[in-house]
Amino acid sequence: MSAHDFRVLVVDDDPDMRGLLACMLEAEGMRADTLPDGEAALLHAIASPPDLLLLDVMLPGLDGFALCEQLKRDPTTAMIPIVLVTALEDSASRVRGIRAGADDFLSKPVRHEELMARVQTLRRLHETRRELETRRLAAEVQRKEALRKTFARYISPRLAEHIMADLDDEGTPFQRGPQRVSVVALFADLRGFTRLTERTQVDEVVGLLNDYFAVITEAAYRHDGTIFSMAGDNLLTGFNVPFPQPDAGRRAWETAHDMARSVKPVLERWRSRGGTPTGVGFGLASGDAIIGNVGSPHYMNYTIIGDAVNVAARLVALAQPGELLASGPALHAAGGMGAGAQPRGKLALRGRSEAVDVYAVAL
Amino acid sequence: MNEANYRVKVARDLEDLIPVFMSNRRKELDTLRVALASADFEQLRQLGHRMKGVGVSYGFDHVSTIGKYIEDGARSGDRASLEARIAEYAEYLSKVQIAYE
Repeated sequence: MSAHDFRVLVVDDDPDMRGLLACMLEAEGMRADTLPDGEAALLHAIASPPDLLLLDVMLPGLDGFALCEQLKRDPTTAMIPIVLVTALEDSASRVRGIRAGADDFLSKPVRHEELMARVQTLRRLHETRRELETRRLAAEVQRKEALRKTFARYISPRLAEHIMADLDDEGTPFQRGPQRVSVVALFADLRGFTRLTERTQVDEVVGLLNDYFAVITEAAYRHDGTIFSMAGDNLLTGFNVPFPQPDAGRRAWETAHDMARSVKPVLERWRSRGGTPTGVGFGLASGDAIIGNVGSPHYMNYTIIGDAVNVAARLVALAQPGELLASGPALHAAGGMGAGAQPRGKLALRGRSEAVDVYAVAL
Repeated sequence: MNEANYRVKVARDLEDLIPVFMSNRRKELDTLRVALASADFEQLRQLGHRMKGVGVSYGFDHVSTIGKYIEDGARSGDRASLEARIAEYAEYLSKVQIAYE
C-alpha cells in the first residue's frame, strides 16, 4: 500500500486543528478526510472505513470516547486503529480512552514528529494485519478448493459445488429439506456382472469396473448430468436435479448414447484379453421424484427417490446389452432424439400397479 | 513582554493555513470579550482549553500559554485575571510577526 492509499479520517470540532492535522498527513503523502463531529464520523466510518482515525475527545454531541466505544463494538469497524487526540492530561481520561478501545493517544498541542511517529507505527501495524488477513483468506480459498476437488472425486462435481455453496453461505451442507422435483433418471448397468465376478480374478474385475465407470461418468459430466449413486456395476444419473435443466430429456438421451459409444473400446479391450463378453444396458424414465437426504445420522445419501427412479431401475433390469429401454414420458421429453425408438408396448413392471409404455433403441 | 516574544516561526508547510488561523484567533478574541462581559465562565474555560491545544500545534506557543491562564481563570472565576489575559491576547495578536521557515 502506498502512502497515498492510506486514508486517515480526522475528527475535531476545531477547524484549525482539523486543517493542521490534515495538512501534516497530506504532506507525508497520505489522504486525509476531515469531519467536525462524532455523529458524522460514525456514519462515515461505517460507510467507508478509514485506515486510521484521529479522533478528538471533546466533541459536541457524541464525544470521542463514546464514538471510539461504538466503533470498537461494531465488528465491521473494530479493526480501524483509533488515536485519541486530547488536551486532557489527567490519567483518568487516558484510562477512559483505553477502556473505550483507543489504540494510541496524541496530546495537544500536537507536535509534527510525534504525530507522524504514531501514525507510521499504526500504519505498519495496520498493513501487517491486512497482509495476514489477505494470506488467511487465500489459505481459506485454497482449502476450499482442495476440499471441492476431494469431494468431486467421490460425488458429482455439480453436487460438490452445491455443498461448497452451502458452506460459503455459512450453512450446513445437505440441511435443505426434501424437495419434490421433476427428474429424468438414467440407469446404466454392466450386464452379466455377477456371473463375470464368479469367473474372474478380483483385481481384474476391479480394473474393468474402474475403466467402465471412468468412461461412463465422464460421459455423464459431459452432458451435465448429476451422478447420485454408483453401486456394484450400476450408475444412476439424474437430470434437472439439483439444478433446473429445461432440456433434461434430450441431455439424458444423448448421455445414454455417449456412454454406449465410450464404453465400447473398454469392453473390446476386455474381450481381447480373454474376458467374458459383456455389454451395458440402459433404463430411462422421467417424472416426479423427491430429492433429499436419505439415511441415518451416521450414514446418509443425498439422492433421488420416486416413481421415475423406480421405473428406470426396472427398465435397466430388462434391457439387453447395448439396449436402451425408455418410458413413454422419457421418450417424449427427448423430443426428436428418440425418433428411432421401437415401441415394446405396455409392460407391467414389478412393484408398480399401472403398466408402462416402453420404447427400445439399440445403441 | 519583550519584542522577541512577538516573533513566531512557522513551518513552511503550514503557510497556507495561517491566514485562516489568524482570522479565527481574532474571532476568538471577540468571543472571549463577549463571554467575559456576560460572565460566561464555562465558555471562557472551553475557549481557553481550545487555545491551549491549537497554539503550540501551529507554533504560537504564547497562544497556548494565554489559553492555559484563561482556562484556569475561568475555573476559579477570577474576573480580573481574565480581563488582563484577554487584553494581553489582544495586544499579542496585534503585534505578532510571522516568519516561515
